[in-house]
Amino acid sequence: MNNILHIENLTKNYQTKEGIIAAIKNLNLEVKKGEIISLVGPSGCGKSTLLSIIDGLDNDYSGYIQKDNKLKIAYMLQSDALLPWLTIYENAILGLKIEHNLNRQNLEYVDYLLDLYNLKEFKNNYPQNLSGGMKQRLALIRTLALKPDLLLLDEPFSALDQQSRLLISDDVYKIIKKEKKTVLLVTHNIEEAITFSDKVIILSKRPASIKKILTIDIKNESSIYERRKDINFNKYFDIIWKDLDINEE
Amino acid sequence: MKNNEQKYLKTIKKQKIKILIWQLFILFLFFSIWEYLTSKEIISPFIYSSPTRIIKCVIELIHNHNFFIHIYVTLKEVIISFILGISIGFIIALLLYEFKFLAQILDPFLTMLNSLPKVALGPLIIILWGANIKSVIIMALLINLIVSIITIYNGFQCTDEYRLKLFKSMKASKLQIMTKLVIPSSYQTIIASFKLCVAQTLVGIIMGEFLVSKQGIGYLIVYGKQIFNLNLVMTGIILLAIISYLLYKIITCLEKKLLKHI
Ligand SMILES: Nc1ncnc2c1ncn2[C@@H]1O[C@H](COP(=O)(O)OP(=O)(O)O)[C@@H](O)[C@H]1O
Ligand SMILES: [Mg+2]
Repeated sequence: MNNILHIENLTKNYQTKEGIIAAIKNLNLEVKKGEIISLVGPSGCGKSTLLSIIDGLDNDYSGYIQKDNKLKIAYMLQSDALLPWLTIYENAILGLKIEHNLNRQNLEYVDYLLDLYNLKEFKNNYPQNLSGGMKQRLALIRTLALKPDLLLLDEPFSALDQQSRLLISDDVYKIIKKEKKTVLLVTHNIEEAITFSDKVIILSKRPASIKKILTIDIKNESSIYERRKDINFNKYFDIIWKDLDINEE
Repeated sequence: MKNNEQKYLKTIKKQKIKILIWQLFILFLFFSIWEYLTSKEIISPFIYSSPTRIIKCVIELIHNHNFFIHIYVTLKEVIISFILGISIGFIIALLLYEFKFLAQILDPFLTMLNSLPKVALGPLIIILWGANIKSVIIMALLINLIVSIITIYNGFQCTDEYRLKLFKSMKASKLQIMTKLVIPSSYQTIIASFKLCVAQTLVGIIMGEFLVSKQGIGYLIVYGKQIFNLNLVMTGIILLAIISYLLYKIITCLEKKLLKHI
Protein backbone atom coordinates (compact mmCIF):
# COMPACT_ATOMS: atom_id res chain seq x y z
CA MET A 1 0.00 0.00 0.00
CA ASN A 2 2.60 2.49 1.11
CA ASN A 3 5.32 0.57 -0.63
CA ILE A 4 7.59 2.64 -2.79
CA LEU A 5 9.66 -0.36 -3.74
CA HIS A 6 8.74 -3.98 -4.08
CA ILE A 7 11.23 -6.65 -5.06
CA GLU A 8 10.27 -10.25 -5.68
CA ASN A 9 12.51 -13.19 -6.42
CA LEU A 10 15.43 -11.10 -7.55
CA THR A 11 18.29 -13.17 -8.93
CA LYS A 12 21.47 -11.80 -10.42
CA ASN A 13 24.37 -13.65 -11.98
CA TYR A 14 27.57 -12.10 -13.31
CA GLN A 15 29.06 -13.76 -16.37
CA THR A 16 32.83 -13.70 -16.12
CA LYS A 17 35.67 -15.42 -17.90
CA GLU A 18 36.05 -17.74 -14.93
CA GLY A 19 32.40 -18.68 -15.05
CA ILE A 20 29.14 -17.53 -13.56
CA ILE A 21 29.16 -15.69 -10.25
CA ALA A 22 25.82 -15.80 -8.48
CA ALA A 23 25.52 -12.46 -6.69
CA ILE A 24 21.88 -12.40 -5.58
CA LYS A 25 19.46 -15.27 -5.23
CA ASN A 26 15.68 -15.15 -4.76
CA LEU A 27 15.71 -11.95 -2.79
CA ASN A 28 12.47 -10.35 -1.67
CA LEU A 29 12.26 -6.85 -0.27
CA GLU A 30 9.59 -4.32 0.59
CA VAL A 31 10.41 -0.71 1.28
CA LYS A 32 7.77 1.62 2.71
CA LYS A 33 7.79 5.36 2.41
CA GLY A 34 9.79 6.99 5.17
CA GLU A 35 11.49 3.80 6.27
CA ILE A 36 15.17 3.60 7.04
CA ILE A 37 16.46 0.13 6.32
CA SER A 38 20.00 -1.10 6.88
CA LEU A 39 21.47 -3.95 4.91
CA VAL A 40 24.26 -5.87 6.59
CA GLY A 41 26.06 -8.84 5.22
CA PRO A 42 29.52 -10.26 4.69
CA SER A 43 31.69 -8.31 2.29
CA GLY A 44 31.32 -9.42 -1.31
CA CYS A 45 27.86 -10.87 -0.71
CA GLY A 46 26.12 -8.69 -3.28
CA LYS A 47 25.03 -5.54 -1.45
CA SER A 48 26.40 -3.03 -3.94
CA THR A 49 24.99 -5.14 -6.75
CA LEU A 50 21.56 -4.92 -5.15
CA LEU A 51 21.73 -1.13 -4.89
CA SER A 52 22.89 -0.81 -8.51
CA ILE A 53 19.91 -2.87 -9.66
CA ILE A 54 17.49 -0.82 -7.57
CA ASP A 55 18.94 2.38 -9.01
CA GLY A 56 18.44 1.07 -12.52
CA LEU A 57 22.14 1.03 -13.40
CA ASP A 58 22.04 -2.69 -14.03
CA ASN A 59 19.12 -4.20 -15.90
CA ASP A 60 20.56 -7.63 -16.37
CA TYR A 61 18.70 -9.61 -13.70
CA SER A 62 15.74 -11.88 -13.32
CA GLY A 63 12.84 -11.33 -10.96
CA TYR A 64 10.34 -8.59 -10.46
CA ILE A 65 10.96 -5.06 -9.31
CA GLN A 66 8.13 -2.64 -8.88
CA LYS A 67 8.80 1.00 -8.33
CA ASP A 68 6.84 4.09 -9.09
CA ASN A 69 7.83 5.72 -12.37
CA LYS A 70 8.15 9.03 -10.63
CA LEU A 71 10.22 7.60 -7.81
CA LYS A 72 13.40 9.61 -7.70
CA ILE A 73 16.38 7.64 -6.51
CA ALA A 74 19.77 9.03 -5.54
CA TYR A 75 22.77 6.82 -5.01
CA MET A 76 25.63 7.74 -2.70
CA LEU A 77 28.63 5.58 -3.41
CA GLN A 78 31.39 4.07 -1.33
CA SER A 79 33.72 6.74 -2.67
CA ASP A 80 32.84 10.43 -2.41
CA ALA A 81 33.47 10.65 -6.19
CA LEU A 82 33.97 14.42 -6.00
CA LEU A 83 35.41 16.13 -9.05
CA PRO A 84 38.68 17.84 -8.09
CA TRP A 85 38.56 20.27 -11.00
CA LEU A 86 35.29 21.79 -9.79
CA THR A 87 34.84 24.07 -6.81
CA ILE A 88 32.93 22.90 -3.77
CA TYR A 89 29.88 24.79 -4.94
CA GLU A 90 30.10 23.40 -8.47
CA ASN A 91 30.39 19.90 -7.02
CA ALA A 92 27.33 20.48 -4.87
CA ILE A 93 25.18 21.49 -7.84
CA LEU A 94 26.58 18.87 -10.23
CA GLY A 95 23.48 16.69 -10.21
CA LEU A 96 21.17 19.67 -10.67
CA LYS A 97 23.26 20.83 -13.58
CA ILE A 98 23.15 17.41 -15.23
CA GLU A 99 19.38 17.36 -14.80
CA HIS A 100 19.09 20.94 -16.11
CA ASN A 101 17.36 21.80 -12.89
CA LEU A 102 19.24 24.86 -11.74
CA ASN A 103 16.22 26.85 -10.68
CA ARG A 104 16.19 29.31 -7.82
CA GLN A 105 14.42 27.06 -5.38
CA ASN A 106 16.95 24.25 -5.86
CA LEU A 107 19.91 26.59 -5.60
CA GLU A 108 18.55 28.08 -2.41
CA TYR A 109 18.24 24.58 -1.01
CA VAL A 110 21.90 23.90 -1.89
CA ASP A 111 22.89 27.12 -0.15
CA TYR A 112 20.91 26.06 2.88
CA LEU A 113 22.64 22.66 2.96
CA LEU A 114 26.10 24.17 2.50
CA ASP A 115 25.36 26.52 5.37
CA LEU A 116 24.05 23.72 7.55
CA TYR A 117 27.19 21.66 7.02
CA ASN A 118 29.59 24.58 7.49
CA LEU A 119 30.80 24.47 3.93
CA LYS A 120 29.40 27.80 2.82
CA GLU A 121 32.52 29.82 3.51
CA PHE A 122 34.63 27.42 1.43
CA LYS A 123 32.16 27.44 -1.44
CA ASN A 124 34.67 28.69 -3.97
CA ASN A 125 37.55 26.51 -2.85
CA TYR A 126 38.44 23.19 -4.40
CA PRO A 127 37.76 19.91 -2.63
CA GLN A 128 41.39 18.80 -2.49
CA ASN A 129 41.97 20.43 0.89
CA LEU A 130 38.82 19.20 2.60
CA SER A 131 39.06 16.59 5.33
CA GLY A 132 37.60 13.15 4.66
CA GLY A 133 34.54 14.01 6.70
CA MET A 134 33.96 17.28 4.88
CA LYS A 135 34.27 15.52 1.53
CA GLN A 136 31.64 13.02 2.58
CA ARG A 137 29.36 15.85 3.70
CA LEU A 138 29.77 17.49 0.33
CA ALA A 139 28.92 14.21 -1.40
CA LEU A 140 25.82 14.04 0.75
CA ILE A 141 24.82 17.60 -0.15
CA ARG A 142 25.24 16.76 -3.83
CA THR A 143 22.93 13.78 -3.29
CA LEU A 144 20.32 15.60 -1.22
CA ALA A 145 20.26 18.55 -3.63
CA LEU A 146 18.40 16.30 -6.06
CA LYS A 147 15.58 15.92 -3.51
CA PRO A 148 15.34 12.17 -3.94
CA ASP A 149 12.44 10.09 -2.61
CA LEU A 150 14.71 7.14 -2.00
CA LEU A 151 18.32 7.41 -0.90
CA LEU A 152 20.69 4.53 -1.52
CA LEU A 153 23.73 4.81 0.73
CA ASP A 154 26.53 2.34 0.03
CA GLU A 155 28.88 2.24 3.01
CA PRO A 156 29.04 6.02 2.92
CA PHE A 157 31.10 6.34 6.09
CA SER A 158 33.47 3.41 5.68
CA ALA A 159 36.42 5.50 4.57
CA LEU A 160 36.24 7.80 7.59
CA ASP A 161 38.00 7.56 10.91
CA GLN A 162 35.86 6.62 13.91
CA GLN A 163 35.37 10.19 15.14
CA SER A 164 34.29 11.72 11.83
CA ARG A 165 32.21 8.66 11.26
CA LEU A 166 30.18 9.28 14.41
CA LEU A 167 29.82 12.99 13.73
CA ILE A 168 28.81 12.64 10.14
CA SER A 169 26.52 9.70 10.53
CA ASP A 170 24.71 11.67 13.22
CA ASP A 171 24.40 14.64 10.84
CA VAL A 172 23.08 12.39 8.15
CA TYR A 173 20.67 10.69 10.52
CA LYS A 174 19.24 14.00 11.64
CA ILE A 175 18.79 15.39 8.18
CA ILE A 176 17.23 12.19 6.89
CA LYS A 177 14.76 12.20 9.76
CA LYS A 178 14.00 15.86 9.29
CA GLU A 179 13.41 15.52 5.59
CA LYS A 180 11.52 12.23 6.10
CA LYS A 181 13.57 10.46 3.46
CA THR A 182 13.31 6.79 2.68
CA VAL A 183 16.71 5.19 2.97
CA LEU A 184 18.49 1.95 2.16
CA LEU A 185 21.83 1.96 3.98
CA VAL A 186 24.50 -0.62 3.33
CA THR A 187 26.95 -0.87 6.21
CA HIS A 188 29.55 -3.11 7.78
CA ASN A 189 29.06 -1.52 11.10
CA ILE A 190 26.51 -3.23 13.34
CA GLU A 191 26.15 -0.26 15.68
CA GLU A 192 25.49 1.98 12.74
CA ALA A 193 22.87 -0.39 11.40
CA ILE A 194 21.00 -0.44 14.71
CA THR A 195 21.20 3.23 15.55
CA PHE A 196 20.27 4.37 12.07
CA SER A 197 17.37 2.23 11.12
CA ASP A 198 13.84 1.08 11.63
CA LYS A 199 14.75 -2.29 10.23
CA VAL A 200 17.97 -4.23 9.82
CA ILE A 201 18.10 -6.79 7.05
CA ILE A 202 20.75 -9.44 7.48
CA LEU A 203 21.96 -10.92 4.22
CA SER A 204 23.51 -14.32 3.70
CA LYS A 205 26.88 -14.98 2.15
CA ARG A 206 27.06 -14.68 -1.62
CA PRO A 207 24.68 -15.12 -3.38
CA ALA A 208 22.79 -12.68 -1.22
CA SER A 209 19.39 -13.60 0.05
CA ILE A 210 17.58 -12.42 3.14
CA LYS A 211 18.51 -14.30 6.25
CA LYS A 212 16.67 -12.28 8.81
CA ILE A 213 14.71 -9.07 9.16
CA LEU A 214 15.03 -7.40 12.50
CA THR A 215 12.69 -4.59 13.48
CA ILE A 216 14.43 -2.02 15.61
CA ASP A 217 12.10 -0.65 18.18
CA ILE A 218 13.89 2.38 19.56
CA LYS A 219 11.53 5.27 20.17
CA ASN A 220 14.06 8.03 20.65
CA GLU A 221 14.85 9.62 17.30
CA SER A 222 16.79 12.67 18.44
CA SER A 223 20.27 11.44 17.54
CA ILE A 224 22.24 8.28 17.09
CA TYR A 225 24.02 8.93 20.40
CA GLU A 226 20.70 8.81 22.21
CA ARG A 227 19.56 5.78 20.29
CA ARG A 228 22.69 3.93 21.25
CA LYS A 229 21.72 4.30 24.93
CA ASP A 230 18.48 2.37 24.47
CA ILE A 231 18.16 -0.66 26.73
CA ASN A 232 17.54 -2.96 23.77
CA PHE A 233 20.69 -1.95 21.90
CA ASN A 234 22.79 -4.82 23.20
CA LYS A 235 20.09 -7.35 22.51
CA TYR A 236 19.91 -6.23 18.87
CA PHE A 237 23.66 -6.26 18.61
CA ASP A 238 23.82 -9.87 19.78
CA ILE A 239 21.16 -11.02 17.35
CA ILE A 240 22.87 -9.45 14.36
CA TRP A 241 26.31 -10.61 15.42
CA LYS A 242 25.09 -14.20 15.69
CA ASP A 243 23.38 -14.17 12.35
CA LEU A 244 26.14 -12.57 10.32
CA ASP A 245 27.99 -15.18 8.35
CA ILE A 246 31.33 -13.53 8.91
CA ASN A 247 31.61 -15.43 12.17
CA GLU A 248 31.78 -18.77 10.48
CA GLU A 249 34.87 -18.00 8.47
CA MET B 1 54.42 30.79 12.53
CA LYS B 2 54.56 33.33 9.73
CA ASN B 3 58.27 33.75 10.25
CA ASN B 4 58.86 30.05 9.89
CA GLU B 5 56.90 29.95 6.70
CA GLN B 6 58.93 32.77 5.23
CA LYS B 7 62.12 31.04 6.27
CA TYR B 8 60.93 27.89 4.60
CA LEU B 9 60.13 29.73 1.37
CA LYS B 10 63.53 31.40 1.52
CA THR B 11 65.36 28.08 1.81
CA ILE B 12 63.40 26.74 -1.16
CA LYS B 13 64.31 29.80 -3.20
CA LYS B 14 67.96 29.47 -2.19
CA GLN B 15 67.88 25.82 -3.20
CA LYS B 16 66.47 26.71 -6.61
CA ILE B 17 69.16 29.32 -7.20
CA LYS B 18 71.83 26.82 -6.19
CA ILE B 19 70.52 24.32 -8.69
CA LEU B 20 70.42 26.93 -11.45
CA ILE B 21 74.01 27.96 -10.72
CA TRP B 22 75.11 24.34 -10.92
CA GLN B 23 73.30 23.85 -14.21
CA LEU B 24 74.87 26.96 -15.74
CA PHE B 25 78.24 25.84 -14.40
CA ILE B 26 77.92 22.44 -16.08
CA LEU B 27 77.05 24.10 -19.39
CA PHE B 28 79.96 26.50 -19.04
CA LEU B 29 82.32 23.66 -18.17
CA PHE B 30 81.11 21.60 -21.12
CA PHE B 31 81.64 24.41 -23.63
CA SER B 32 84.98 25.46 -22.12
CA ILE B 33 86.39 21.94 -22.26
CA TRP B 34 85.11 21.60 -25.80
CA GLU B 35 86.72 24.91 -26.78
CA TYR B 36 89.97 24.05 -25.00
CA LEU B 37 90.32 20.57 -26.50
CA THR B 38 89.68 21.81 -30.02
CA SER B 39 91.86 24.93 -29.79
CA LYS B 40 94.79 22.79 -28.56
CA GLU B 41 93.92 20.33 -31.36
CA ILE B 42 93.67 17.50 -28.84
CA ILE B 43 90.53 16.59 -30.75
CA SER B 44 90.10 17.72 -34.31
CA PRO B 45 88.15 21.01 -34.60
CA PHE B 46 87.35 20.02 -38.15
CA ILE B 47 85.30 17.03 -37.00
CA TYR B 48 84.14 18.17 -33.55
CA SER B 49 83.73 21.85 -34.42
CA SER B 50 83.95 24.22 -31.42
CA PRO B 51 81.85 26.82 -29.62
CA THR B 52 83.60 29.75 -31.32
CA ARG B 53 83.22 28.13 -34.72
CA ILE B 54 79.54 27.59 -34.04
CA ILE B 55 79.11 31.25 -33.10
CA LYS B 56 80.91 32.27 -36.26
CA CYS B 57 78.73 29.94 -38.24
CA VAL B 58 75.59 31.47 -36.74
CA ILE B 59 76.81 34.98 -37.56
CA GLU B 60 77.52 33.91 -41.11
CA LEU B 61 74.09 32.37 -41.43
CA ILE B 62 72.49 35.54 -40.13
CA HIS B 63 74.50 37.52 -42.69
CA ASN B 64 73.23 35.35 -45.51
CA HIS B 65 69.70 35.92 -44.24
CA ASN B 66 69.27 32.18 -43.93
CA PHE B 67 69.42 31.67 -40.22
CA PHE B 68 65.92 32.82 -39.29
CA ILE B 69 64.36 31.27 -42.35
CA HIS B 70 65.56 27.81 -41.36
CA ILE B 71 64.39 28.26 -37.79
CA TYR B 72 61.09 29.71 -38.96
CA VAL B 73 60.47 26.83 -41.36
CA THR B 74 61.22 24.17 -38.77
CA LEU B 75 59.16 25.92 -36.08
CA LYS B 76 56.25 26.34 -38.45
CA GLU B 77 56.35 22.67 -39.36
CA VAL B 78 56.60 21.66 -35.72
CA ILE B 79 53.69 23.83 -34.62
CA ILE B 80 51.41 22.76 -37.47
CA SER B 81 52.20 19.06 -36.97
CA PHE B 82 51.89 19.33 -33.21
CA ILE B 83 48.48 21.01 -33.32
CA LEU B 84 47.22 18.64 -36.01
CA GLY B 85 48.66 15.66 -34.10
CA ILE B 86 46.99 16.40 -30.81
CA SER B 87 43.67 17.52 -32.23
CA ILE B 88 43.27 14.62 -34.66
CA GLY B 89 44.60 12.29 -31.96
CA PHE B 90 42.07 13.66 -29.49
CA ILE B 91 39.16 13.19 -31.89
CA ILE B 92 40.18 9.65 -32.79
CA ALA B 93 40.66 8.79 -29.11
CA LEU B 94 37.16 10.13 -28.43
CA LEU B 95 35.71 7.95 -31.19
CA LEU B 96 37.56 4.89 -29.93
CA TYR B 97 36.29 5.52 -26.40
CA GLU B 98 32.71 6.10 -27.51
CA PHE B 99 32.62 3.15 -29.91
CA LYS B 100 34.28 0.27 -28.09
CA PHE B 101 33.56 -1.98 -31.05
CA LEU B 102 35.65 0.26 -33.30
CA ALA B 103 38.47 0.19 -30.76
CA GLN B 104 38.45 -3.60 -30.76
CA ILE B 105 38.57 -3.73 -34.56
CA LEU B 106 41.37 -1.17 -34.84
CA ASP B 107 43.47 -2.51 -31.97
CA PRO B 108 45.86 -4.73 -33.99
CA PHE B 109 46.31 -2.05 -36.66
CA LEU B 110 47.21 0.56 -34.08
CA THR B 111 49.70 -1.80 -32.47
CA MET B 112 51.24 -2.52 -35.86
CA LEU B 113 51.48 1.17 -36.80
CA ASN B 114 52.93 1.95 -33.40
CA SER B 115 55.83 -0.46 -33.75
CA LEU B 116 56.46 0.13 -37.47
CA PRO B 117 59.58 2.29 -38.01
CA LYS B 118 57.87 5.19 -39.77
CA VAL B 119 61.06 6.34 -41.45
CA ALA B 120 60.64 3.35 -43.74
CA LEU B 121 57.60 5.12 -45.20
CA GLY B 122 59.67 8.22 -46.06
CA PRO B 123 60.39 7.42 -49.72
CA LEU B 124 56.77 6.45 -50.27
CA ILE B 125 55.55 9.74 -48.77
CA ILE B 126 57.82 11.75 -51.05
CA ILE B 127 56.58 9.89 -54.10
CA LEU B 128 52.98 10.44 -53.07
CA TRP B 129 53.15 14.05 -51.89
CA GLY B 130 56.32 15.44 -53.40
CA ALA B 131 59.45 16.91 -51.86
CA ASN B 132 57.79 19.73 -49.96
CA ILE B 133 56.62 20.89 -46.56
CA LYS B 134 53.49 18.75 -46.88
CA SER B 135 55.57 15.58 -46.85
CA VAL B 136 57.51 16.78 -43.82
CA ILE B 137 54.30 17.39 -41.91
CA ILE B 138 52.85 14.04 -42.94
CA MET B 139 56.00 12.33 -41.77
CA ALA B 140 55.67 14.05 -38.38
CA LEU B 141 51.98 13.19 -38.15
CA LEU B 142 52.68 9.53 -38.83
CA ILE B 143 54.94 9.56 -35.80
CA ASN B 144 53.12 11.81 -33.33
CA LEU B 145 49.54 10.84 -34.12
CA ILE B 146 49.81 7.26 -32.96
CA VAL B 147 51.39 8.39 -29.69
CA SER B 148 48.71 10.97 -28.98
CA ILE B 149 45.87 8.59 -29.87
CA ILE B 150 47.15 5.87 -27.60
CA THR B 151 47.98 8.06 -24.60
CA ILE B 152 44.78 10.11 -24.74
CA TYR B 153 42.67 6.99 -25.24
CA ASN B 154 44.34 5.33 -22.25
CA GLY B 155 43.63 8.48 -20.25
CA PHE B 156 39.94 8.28 -21.12
CA GLN B 157 39.85 4.63 -20.11
CA CYS B 158 41.26 5.42 -16.68
CA THR B 159 38.20 7.47 -15.71
CA ASP B 160 37.31 6.60 -12.14
CA GLU B 161 34.58 3.98 -12.11
CA TYR B 162 32.84 5.45 -9.07
CA ARG B 163 32.56 8.80 -10.82
CA LEU B 164 31.22 7.07 -13.92
CA LYS B 165 28.68 5.26 -11.79
CA LEU B 166 27.71 8.53 -10.15
CA PHE B 167 27.10 10.20 -13.50
CA LYS B 168 25.06 7.25 -14.74
CA SER B 169 23.07 7.29 -11.54
CA MET B 170 22.36 10.98 -12.17
CA LYS B 171 21.09 9.94 -15.61
CA ALA B 172 23.75 11.97 -17.40
CA SER B 173 23.70 11.81 -21.20
CA LYS B 174 26.64 10.39 -23.13
CA LEU B 175 27.66 13.91 -24.10
CA GLN B 176 27.54 15.08 -20.49
CA ILE B 177 29.61 12.10 -19.36
CA MET B 178 32.17 12.93 -22.03
CA THR B 179 32.39 16.69 -21.52
CA LYS B 180 31.86 16.91 -17.78
CA LEU B 181 33.70 13.79 -16.65
CA VAL B 182 35.82 11.79 -19.07
CA ILE B 183 37.64 14.71 -20.71
CA PRO B 184 38.29 16.72 -17.51
CA SER B 185 39.44 13.52 -15.77
CA SER B 186 42.05 13.13 -18.48
CA TYR B 187 43.53 16.64 -18.33
CA GLN B 188 46.66 15.23 -16.79
CA THR B 189 47.12 12.51 -19.38
CA ILE B 190 46.30 14.92 -22.17
CA ILE B 191 49.05 17.30 -21.02
CA ALA B 192 51.42 14.34 -20.64
CA SER B 193 50.58 13.36 -24.20
CA PHE B 194 51.45 16.93 -25.29
CA LYS B 195 54.94 16.40 -23.91
CA LEU B 196 55.36 13.09 -25.69
CA CYS B 197 53.85 14.58 -28.82
CA VAL B 198 56.32 17.50 -28.91
CA ALA B 199 59.26 15.13 -28.73
CA GLN B 200 57.81 12.83 -31.37
CA THR B 201 56.91 15.75 -33.63
CA LEU B 202 60.51 16.97 -33.59
CA VAL B 203 61.71 13.49 -34.50
CA GLY B 204 59.26 13.39 -37.39
CA ILE B 205 60.08 16.89 -38.63
CA ILE B 206 63.82 16.32 -38.66
CA MET B 207 63.35 12.96 -40.34
CA GLY B 208 61.14 14.65 -42.92
CA GLU B 209 63.63 17.46 -43.49
CA PHE B 210 66.44 14.93 -43.92
CA LEU B 211 64.41 13.31 -46.68
CA VAL B 212 63.02 16.42 -48.37
CA SER B 213 66.16 18.55 -47.97
CA LYS B 214 65.10 22.05 -48.91
CA GLN B 215 64.86 24.23 -45.82
CA GLY B 216 64.85 23.94 -42.07
CA ILE B 217 67.23 22.87 -39.37
CA GLY B 218 67.17 19.24 -40.52
CA TYR B 219 68.21 20.49 -43.93
CA LEU B 220 71.09 22.48 -42.37
CA ILE B 221 72.37 19.31 -40.79
CA VAL B 222 72.11 17.22 -43.94
CA TYR B 223 73.60 19.98 -46.07
CA GLY B 224 76.44 20.46 -43.59
CA LYS B 225 77.17 16.76 -43.78
CA GLN B 226 77.16 16.80 -47.60
CA ILE B 227 79.69 19.62 -47.88
CA PHE B 228 81.54 18.29 -44.85
CA ASN B 229 81.00 21.48 -42.87
CA LEU B 230 80.69 20.07 -39.35
CA ASN B 231 80.19 23.55 -37.89
CA LEU B 232 76.87 23.67 -39.66
CA VAL B 233 75.92 20.22 -38.35
CA MET B 234 76.74 21.17 -34.76
CA THR B 235 74.91 24.49 -35.09
CA GLY B 236 71.83 22.58 -36.26
CA ILE B 237 72.03 20.15 -33.36
CA ILE B 238 72.39 22.92 -30.79
CA LEU B 239 69.50 24.87 -32.31
CA LEU B 240 67.36 21.73 -32.07
CA ALA B 241 68.32 21.21 -28.44
CA ILE B 242 67.31 24.78 -27.63
CA ILE B 243 64.02 24.55 -29.52
CA SER B 244 63.00 21.27 -27.94
CA TYR B 245 63.86 22.58 -24.48
CA LEU B 246 61.80 25.74 -25.02
CA LEU B 247 58.79 23.82 -26.37
CA TYR B 248 58.93 21.48 -23.40
CA LYS B 249 59.12 24.45 -21.02
CA ILE B 250 56.07 26.08 -22.59
CA ILE B 251 54.05 22.91 -22.06
CA THR B 252 55.21 22.57 -18.46
CA CYS B 253 54.04 26.13 -17.79
CA LEU B 254 50.71 25.29 -19.38
CA GLU B 255 50.52 22.20 -17.19
CA LYS B 256 51.04 24.22 -13.99
CA LYS B 257 48.31 26.64 -14.99
CA LEU B 258 45.76 24.02 -16.01
CA LEU B 259 46.30 21.44 -13.30
CA LYS B 260 46.30 23.69 -10.27
CA HIS B 261 43.55 21.83 -8.47
CA ILE B 262 44.18 18.24 -9.46
N1 LIG C 1 30.97 -6.30 -12.75
C1 LIG C 1 31.18 -7.47 -12.12
N2 LIG C 1 31.56 -8.55 -12.82
C2 LIG C 1 31.77 -9.73 -12.21
N3 LIG C 1 31.62 -9.94 -10.89
C3 LIG C 1 31.25 -8.91 -10.13
C4 LIG C 1 31.01 -7.60 -10.70
N4 LIG C 1 30.65 -6.77 -9.70
C5 LIG C 1 30.67 -7.51 -8.57
N5 LIG C 1 31.02 -8.79 -8.81
C6 LIG C 1 31.11 -9.88 -7.85
O1 LIG C 1 29.84 -10.05 -7.26
C7 LIG C 1 29.95 -10.24 -5.86
C8 LIG C 1 29.16 -9.19 -5.10
O2 LIG C 1 29.76 -7.92 -5.29
P1 LIG C 1 29.25 -6.62 -4.54
O3 LIG C 1 27.80 -6.46 -4.82
O4 LIG C 1 30.13 -5.51 -4.90
O5 LIG C 1 29.46 -7.04 -3.02
P2 LIG C 1 29.34 -6.17 -1.68
O6 LIG C 1 28.93 -4.79 -2.06
O7 LIG C 1 28.35 -6.87 -0.85
O8 LIG C 1 30.69 -6.19 -1.03
C9 LIG C 1 31.42 -10.21 -5.53
O9 LIG C 1 31.88 -11.53 -5.42
C10 LIG C 1 32.05 -9.53 -6.71
O10 LIG C 1 33.33 -10.06 -6.95
MG1 LIG D 1 30.03 -3.01 -1.87
